Amino acid sequence: MKRHIRFLAVAAALCMLLTACNGGETPAGGTETDGGGNSSLPSAAPPAELDNISGDVVDAGLTCTLTLGNVPPDLAPAAEKALFEGYIAAMNKQYPNVTVVPAYYSYTLSSYVGMARGGTAPNIFQPPFTDPQLLISQELVADVTGALQSIDLLDKFSPSFIELLGSEGRIYGLPRDGYVLGLHLNLNLFEEAGLMTEDGLPMYPKTLQELAEVGRTIREKTGKAGLVFPASETYGGWLFTNIAWNFGATGEYALERVDEDGRWICDLTSEPVVAALEYVKSLRWEYDILNADATTTDWAGAHSALGTGEAAMNFAADDSVAEPTAGKGLAVDKFALAPFPSGPKGSYSLSGGTCFMFSPDTTHDQAVAALGFLKIIGMLPFMDDDVIAGMRAGAAAKRERGAPVLPPIPAWNDEDFIAKQREIAEEYTNVDMRLYDDFFHNILIKAEEPVFAQQLYRELTSAVQRVITREDADVLRALERAQEAFQEYLDDEMNS
Amino acid sequence: MKKNSRRRFGKWRQEASAWLIMLPGIILFAFFLWAPLLQSVRMSLYQTKNIELTNFIGFDNYISVFKKSDFLQALRNTFSYTLWSLLIGFLIPIFMALAIGETVRGKGFIRTASYIPNILPGLAAVLLWSAFFSAEKSGVINILLAKLGIDRMAFLSQEHMVIPIIVLIATWKGAGATALIYMAGLAGVNPELYEAATIDGAGIWKRIRHITLPAIFNLGSTLLILQIISIFQIMYEPMVLTKGGPDNASLSLMLLMWRYAFGGRMEFGKAAAMGVIISLILLVFTGLYTIVNRRKTEWE
Repeated sequence: MKRHIRFLAVAAALCMLLTACNGGETPAGGTETDGGGNSSLPSAAPPAELDNISGDVVDAGLTCTLTLGNVPPDLAPAAEKALFEGYIAAMNKQYPNVTVVPAYYSYTLSSYVGMARGGTAPNIFQPPFTDPQLLISQELVADVTGALQSIDLLDKFSPSFIELLGSEGRIYGLPRDGYVLGLHLNLNLFEEAGLMTEDGLPMYPKTLQELAEVGRTIREKTGKAGLVFPASETYGGWLFTNIAWNFGATGEYALERVDEDGRWICDLTSEPVVAALEYVKSLRWEYDILNADATTTDWAGAHSALGTGEAAMNFAADDSVAEPTAGKGLAVDKFALAPFPSGPKGSYSLSGGTCFMFSPDTTHDQAVAALGFLKIIGMLPFMDDDVIAGMRAGAAAKRERGAPVLPPIPAWNDEDFIAKQREIAEEYTNVDMRLYDDFFHNILIKAEEPVFAQQLYRELTSAVQRVITREDADVLRALERAQEAFQEYLDDEMNS
Repeated sequence: MKKNSRRRFGKWRQEASAWLIMLPGIILFAFFLWAPLLQSVRMSLYQTKNIELTNFIGFDNYISVFKKSDFLQALRNTFSYTLWSLLIGFLIPIFMALAIGETVRGKGFIRTASYIPNILPGLAAVLLWSAFFSAEKSGVINILLAKLGIDRMAFLSQEHMVIPIIVLIATWKGAGATALIYMAGLAGVNPELYEAATIDGAGIWKRIRHITLPAIFNLGSTLLILQIISIFQIMYEPMVLTKGGPDNASLSLMLLMWRYAFGGRMEFGKAAAMGVIISLILLVFTGLYTIVNRRKTEWE
């Protein structure tokens, strides 16, 4: 009995010790917790720019509860957290009877389905452009046509976005922003490898062949991976698609197309695709520039490898420049973004984007309130003071937390709005734009493959994994397997 | 007549109280096991829109699942998991139980220590081991190999190594708990048998072979079938460690089922069909076990 009491006493003491440690810590980002483990306000103040958002009541009659996805969690950088708290405070003033509930939810398809069906998905969430049609066809999102009409936003939709976010004349979401794939660079490793010009600019690879050679130089001079290649799940196929395009897998060799009988077919064994996969294989076995754990590295892992100096280059987009910098501590002036290297038959950069969509149980009032919130955070293409103040606040918070402030890839076609976005990015810039100029001026954008892109990426990822894990892998055979599997899928989903 | 009806009433009263005792259990089973099970079988025969059933399509989901190349691969891999699990995971707990049983000093400590991995959350255990098997310089095993002058290895990128590694991790986590069950079985062996054998000059190996192993045979065969059932449902280990890769080399049937439902396809009907197929395979194993067990009892 005595032994048990002694054991319990030691366990209780340990628990108290751990709790006490937790209470006294200040997590990175400046948030603090009280003794009970509850989070208190962040130490950073909301950006002063938020003061310019009108405090006048917009709609006192609108009464509902609005659940917001993607609100920064407690351990997010203080500047980001403060920004959102400022946005929510502005929302509370403009819509006094709308109760805003932060959900901290970041969309993934696998987590969303259960939440949507169970009624626990937040009213607004942010899926990538590859998912809206699937969500619409599965009736997992709300029709917000009426709410969009009520603020005259429908007129600003381009036909391509109506196609992407609508079905049978109804609209289910709105675009947030676009992205374009490029090449993230860690300049510390470029410097160490002697790959900087006298002007302090990186001698980054402009072609895929140069990428292999630059990567090899970096490997030899620094011992680090020249290129981090996330080849797990669907990421490997996503990046490989862009490489294949630049080897000529477009037009008559397009990865997906409709044949003369109106049947969707894929072509993953054409000469350009084979050449592209041979190239990827050579990055592992001939040039040896890839990170060792490529098949288990995901998107976040790739950013981490670049940010922490384990790799010098990463195929990634402009919308994720905060990940290796603010997220992993790479100084903003040691980071650059270059265009996706061109191949022998093309210089495309894959573009996609993120949109706002609404959980299936969202009511008209909730959708109207959600649009009110999107206006406050500067995401709607209007030129009023609130939107501009929201955009400024967003840029200020980004600068505050050490993320590069860059002109966004526009999601809307409104020229005045785009010009304003660029003007604000310029005003708040914290980077040497020479490190980004080529990315923003010398790219040829190409949208993702039209149908079931994620499934295509999954099959291509398998092929990529095969050739980078087996030196004797038969490239054509790997692609034949991907072709067979994806065509089966297309036949099931599109041709039956 | 009166006597009969009184007897019937008495019997009914007896049965009613038995049913009442069982009722909470039956309700829980019906709600949490039988209803989802039957619903899953029903769903496998329908086309679905998210989790709603739309059209009855008979066995189309099954045919479609069987036709796909990843099914065969997942089936092969799952049998490979089972085989490796039998090689690694079945014997280790028995050795552990025997070793702990023979230990004289610090028995309590070793018993507790061997159980500790089991209280670790599954995902934490996998993440912990992923740091061990990482191919980067920070990978613990690679650090040890480097000390021995051996080149770095990408363990999780090797098709032939990935399943044994996953089974090793699962065994590390579960072996202690299984060993405790064997030890409980061993505790039931009459110590006089050991004493008599020792007096007769039997060494440790003879004692194990002629007393211990026969004593835990029945327990072992039950745990064997439970292990097969458990390893057939392996999912989160490959999902976290390798995402089913490289090139689907660690894709299990359960992970494939998850992919149908949540991996971007939203084909819940096909996922349900996969679930039914897995259940049927396991039913075959369970049937085999029952037959073997019955025969053994008859021989005895």
